[in-house]
Amino acid sequence: MTALLELRGLGKDYGARAAVAALDLDVAEGEIFGLLGPNGAGKTTTISMIAGVVAPSRGHARVAGHDVVTAAFAARAATGVVPQDLAIYDELTPRENLDFFGALYGLSGATLRERQAWALGVAGLADRADEPTKTFSGGMKRRLNLAAGLLHRPRLLVLDEPTVGVDPQSRKHIFDTIRALRADGMTVLYTSHYMEEVQALCDRVAIMDGGRIVAHGTIPELLAGRAGAAALVVEIELAGVVGDDAIGAALAAAAAHGEAARDGRTLRITPVASVGAVIAAVEGAGVAIAALRTHAADLEAVFLAHTGHSLRDG
Amino acid sequence: MLGAAIKKDLLLLVRDRGAIMSLFLLPIVFIAVFGSIFGGDGEREPLRLAVWRAPGDARGAAIADALDGTGMFAVRRAPTADRARDDVAAGAVVAALIVPADLDPRAGRPAELVIDPAASPQVKGPVEGAAQAIVARAALGPPPGGDVAAVVARAPPGVRDPLPDVSGFQVAVPGNAVLFGFFIALSCALSFTEERRSGTWRRLLAAPVARWRLLVAKLVPYLIVGLVQFALLFGIGIAAFGLQVAGSPLALVALVVATVTCATSLGLAMASLGGSEKQLGGIGSICLLVMGLVGGAMVPRAVMPETMQLVGLAVPHGWALDGFFDVLVRPGTGLADVWPSVVALLGFALAFVGFGALRSRRLLAG
Ligand SMILES: Nc1ncnc2c1ncn2[C@@H]1O[C@H](COP(=O)(O)OP(=O)(O)O)[C@@H](O)[C@H]1O
Ligand SMILES: [Mg+2]
Repeated sequence: MTALLELRGLGKDYGARAAVAALDLDVAEGEIFGLLGPNGAGKTTTISMIAGVVAPSRGHARVAGHDVVTAAFAARAATGVVPQDLAIYDELTPRENLDFFGALYGLSGATLRERQAWALGVAGLADRADEPTKTFSGGMKRRLNLAAGLLHRPRLLVLDEPTVGVDPQSRKHIFDTIRALRADGMTVLYTSHYMEEVQALCDRVAIMDGGRIVAHGTIPELLAGRAGAAALVVEIELAGVVGDDAIGAALAAAAAHGEAARDGRTLRITPVASVGAVIAAVEGAGVAIAALRTHAADLEAVFLAHTGHSLRDG
Repeated sequence: MLGAAIKKDLLLLVRDRGAIMSLFLLPIVFIAVFGSIFGGDGEREPLRLAVWRAPGDARGAAIADALDGTGMFAVRRAPTADRARDDVAAGAVVAALIVPADLDPRAGRPAELVIDPAASPQVKGPVEGAAQAIVARAALGPPPGGDVAAVVARAPPGVRDPLPDVSGFQVAVPGNAVLFGFFIALSCALSFTEERRSGTWRRLLAAPVARWRLLVAKLVPYLIVGLVQFALLFGIGIAAFGLQVAGSPLALVALVVATVTCATSLGLAMASLGGSEKQLGGIGSICLLVMGLVGGAMVPRAVMPETMQLVGLAVPHGWALDGFFDVLVRPGTGLADVWPSVVALLGFALAFVGFGALRSRRLLAG
């Protein structure tokens, strides 16, 4: 496979803190690649470096073979960005917005009009193109935000949490759009902190936490993951008033039988062998079990197994 | 790209009612109000003056006629001396002159001028001066040598004579044009902040366009709006308020271009300070008002104490207004006469751009 996006030791420091440590990653042409991580993981910083908005502190990023620093214009021309914020002008109509964003990529005249019609169609806004954007719903604005990144038909489309605050209908529209664009040959880098989205949409996923990639691969690879681990998660909710010491002891006991992490009064374990051994170990630590659930392993469990904390708490 | 960027920013500005109000409507109102308050000599209302003289006193009647004849006063005759004093106290007249029948200043029997000691110098000066001269002449006879002018006023070398008749609008139009013209800096800085807050600035940075071109594209629209603003305010000044351009129109255009360039550059410098829209709007407008005040946009620097006059040259407003005053009021003023103002304004502009460049990391941060 040829990599459309290559990251080599890419990192960014803010002051003494590394927002992104040193990423190595290849995204193949034509795939939908997910960057999954909680708030503050460094997803937006990574995307900003790829888009040429933020200068890297170290390492390199190449889009379609163009280095984002030394061949910045070529790299930027090959990239379309859909920022996390609604980066559109509320006081302008969608058409006026796209007039301007198209011009930024050197589009004008008939080409601009043709692309505009296409992007408005893709965003499902063709019949609202001349209404003030400020009257739109959150979902419609999200779709316009997406259209603005598509106008110049980039080879790499980078989406930063494009579904935040949208209704289910707009979310479905955005997903369908992304799949259709990929079918047309576009490569997509999709960031989210919703594991359901990434699981539903992406071919391959990198899980980010604290500025690092903690795991990556296809979703089946990630779920099957570590040798011997069952594709199953056990959630044990502890009963009664238990102190931190007792919970810690229960966690340590469970950890002997698989990947274990704590989320408040709940232990989440991916057992290596049998579920029964896990339960016995927890009870053996002297705590009572209030509730017990098992479900098929998901990316949440993978995240937990790698980081020891939950995706949702950040 | 530049054309589309200009169109975008102009559309945004035109749809921003607050900006339109403060850039176009407010200065017109201010010009109308200030121009009428500071009416020039030619349009000043005559001061109301009461005169009492004894019935049949021919000398007293001559004094009243002479006061009336100056054209500076609307003279009315009071039935009694006390009534004249009461009229001043009540504010019906600004002053009253009471001429005793046996007027003889040399014998210690002067005429009495009734006037509020706290009256403004613009009122007290002419009233006291005219009353003194006219009563002295009536009581003591004409001065030796008649009315030969002993002192003639002349402009110093290099300073051109002003128009004979300077109306308040000759000062109010440039004053408010400069005051509100510099508010384009705030509009410009706010639009930077707005783009940064909404995230559109990140989109601009992600485009294959050089950073300096993005900045230029952000400044040119405000340069255009500033020029339109000055053209409109001076146009309305000329058409509706009788503003005269005594000097060369070319010098006026040079001053306008330099002023607007300076104001837009100030916008870039303000944008590079960062901060929220709220902070910028609050602190920025206070700074611009103080700069206008110090620079003489509201009260002409000529009537300020000497130190304040000098302080006024620390802000671009002072230089701009010096130039505008000469071009509007002194016939024959050309480009060669206003170059210090033009150079100073462009110097300020350069300093503002330099400041922005020093802080370009902040300016260009997504
Ligand atoms: N401009 C900045 N200045 C300082 N710190 C920043 C800046 N941008 C991001 N960070 C920090 O870098 C880390 C990663 O942030 P970000 O990339 O936005 O994460 P994510 O998009 O995954 O939520 C966070 O700790 C954030 O506070
Ligand atoms: Mg983010």
